[in-house]
Amino acid sequence: MDSRTALIRSFTFLGGIYFFFHFIVPESALEVIGIKDAHPGISNGFIVIGAMAIGLGIINLVIGHGSHVVFKRRGWTFSAVLLVSLVSTLGVTTAQWIRNRAVSSELQRIYVIGEFSNRILSDASDVKNPKSFSPAGELPKLEFRVHALTKYVREVLGEVERASIEGHGDGSQESLTLREELHKNQILLAADLDRVETVSWENLSDSNKVLLERVSQHAGGYATAYSVIRRRDAEQGLIPQMYTVLYSGIFENLGAAMFALLGVYIAAAAFRAFRVRSMESTLMMVAALVVMLGQISFGKWIYEDMPALRQWLLEVPNSAVFRAIRFGAAVAGLMLAIRMWFSIESKTSSEGR
Amino acid sequence: MTGIEHATPGIIVLLGLLSAVFCWSFYSVRAGRKFEIRKIPGIDAIEDAIGRSAEQGRAISFSTGLTDISPTLYACLGVLESITKTAAQYKLKLLVPQYSPEVMAVVEDTVRQAYRDVGKGSLFDPSTIKFLSSEQFAFASGYMGLIHREKPGAAFLFGAFAAESLILAEAGQQVGARQVAASVSPEQVAFFICTCEYTLIGEELFGASAYLSRDPVQVATVVAQDRVKLLFCVFILIGVVCATVGSWDSTLSWLNPVSLLFLSWGDVVTW
Repeated sequence: MDSRTALIRSFTFLGGIYFFFHFIVPESALEVIGIKDAHPGISNGFIVIGAMAIGLGIINLVIGHGSHVVFKRRGWTFSAVLLVSLVSTLGVTTAQWIRNRAVSSELQRIYVIGEFSNRILSDASDVKNPKSFSPAGELPKLEFRVHALTKYVREVLGEVERASIEGHGDGSQESLTLREELHKNQILLAADLDRVETVSWENLSDSNKVLLERVSQHAGGYATAYSVIRRRDAEQGLIPQMYTVLYSGIFENLGAAMFALLGVYIAAAAFRAFRVRSMESTLMMVAALVVMLGQISFGKWIYEDMPALRQWLLEVPNSAVFRAIRFGAAVAGLMLAIRMWFSIESKTSSEGR
Repeated sequence: MTGIEHATPGIIVLLGLLSAVFCWSFYSVRAGRKFEIRKIPGIDAIEDAIGRSAEQGRAISFSTGLTDISPTLYACLGVLESITKTAAQYKLKLLVPQYSPEVMAVVEDTVRQAYRDVGKGSLFDPSTIKFLSSEQFAFASGYMGLIHREKPGAAFLFGAFAAESLILAEAGQQVGARQVAASVSPEQVAFFICTCEYTLIGEELFGASAYLSRDPVQVATVVAQDRVKLLFCVFILIGVVCATVGSWDSTLSWLNPVSLLFLSWGDVVTW
């Protein structure tokens, strides 16, 4: 056995044994040994290794179709269209992804205001709460946390203002209403902050509690209105429009067209299959006829129990056969999996794979 | 059951039993015991189809459909290896359109090795292993285009297929290719039966490689799976008899829980 084969066999065995033990060891035991928390990370690691192969697909496409274009082989124009489509889809999708990511992180900064004030409230209401931001395990002073909150909110509000919300939008009535809502919540939030800064935060009085709740509520309203506006804005512009044209306008429709071909092909295949040439094809045709007649109201007119007969055919003989096929394939798959796990292969096969 | 992701003691016992059956079959084959695999016309038709393509000077195509890295793929690779060796001897062009990049890497290695095994390594052309798309219908349209351009004399569809199965099979039918299909998806078997000359149903796909190669390890796997199925059939039979008798005669109602032991062992014996 050469070193390459030995390496492949070792990795296969180790990968197999990890998932096998994860399957047979009870959940409680996995929790004790710490595998339960680590499992999603390990599984994602395997997925990442698999995802690297996507590069192989792109390389194969570029080399295969690129050579067609360069040497102007038969049908090179189709290859050129494919490569242009590949590059444009890749470019537009990447640009769209970057744009969406920027919007999401911007919105996250606003959404966190409500969570921050709620957290201050819940921590301050329960002084014995062990949860804390500080590494020492002690809660920072309420005054300090409220000050941090107001500082953060003013910073975020300033940034949003700088993002010149007035510059965005399509000018529709809905857009204007959203902007009014945003403006209203911005004023309310600013007013709340002014009050927060004027009162004492030595301890959490009832009025202070109400004040923090108001901050959380107005921050929530502000974040909702802002997120709708930003998402609407993100849908405008050249990149999103190109994305819509490529994906919804071309890709989805081409897929639907291919799927629609099935209708024609089913008819053609049925015509060939239902020719009575043997005992088996006769049986198949009779069964298909009963199922089809049982499906339509006309069938009931021919024979009252036709729908029941159709149901029986589908639920009893058909289900039994389906189960038998699945059962046989599952057992065969399991046996092959054991063989693969232990790399029990003939010499040629193991070297080839 | 305590959860889908974890085995119950019942499942562990079953797994142990299955592994034991596999080891028994494997060692009995290694000890020199001969097993016969019954004649499967669909598999015999593979050689005929390749021979016919050679006579007509046409290419052949082999697709694993939407199969991902899984036991099903390894079953398909055994058949691909055998087909490649025959194609290499006849100097036929072998087209292997691909859906998954991971599978493409494994397939390329298998095809290259098969060419080398018959001493025709120089005939291997990597450009015949074409990645089409990882989108179901984009793959189907790419496959149709390829088949219509290359007009292969034989098309083999082995693996996991979904709604695109009929599109693929009809493409081969339109160019007059002799087609052999094998799928573990029962829903697609009906489409293949209507369109292809021969169809291998379910586990026949797993037996095909052993049938073609007569490799002792692969034959042992087929023997093991047959023994396991026989064991399960006995379980089902005992369970059904117990359940029927238990519900028929009230004095024998104790047979009902006994039947559950045979019919849903994994659910009954839990942690």
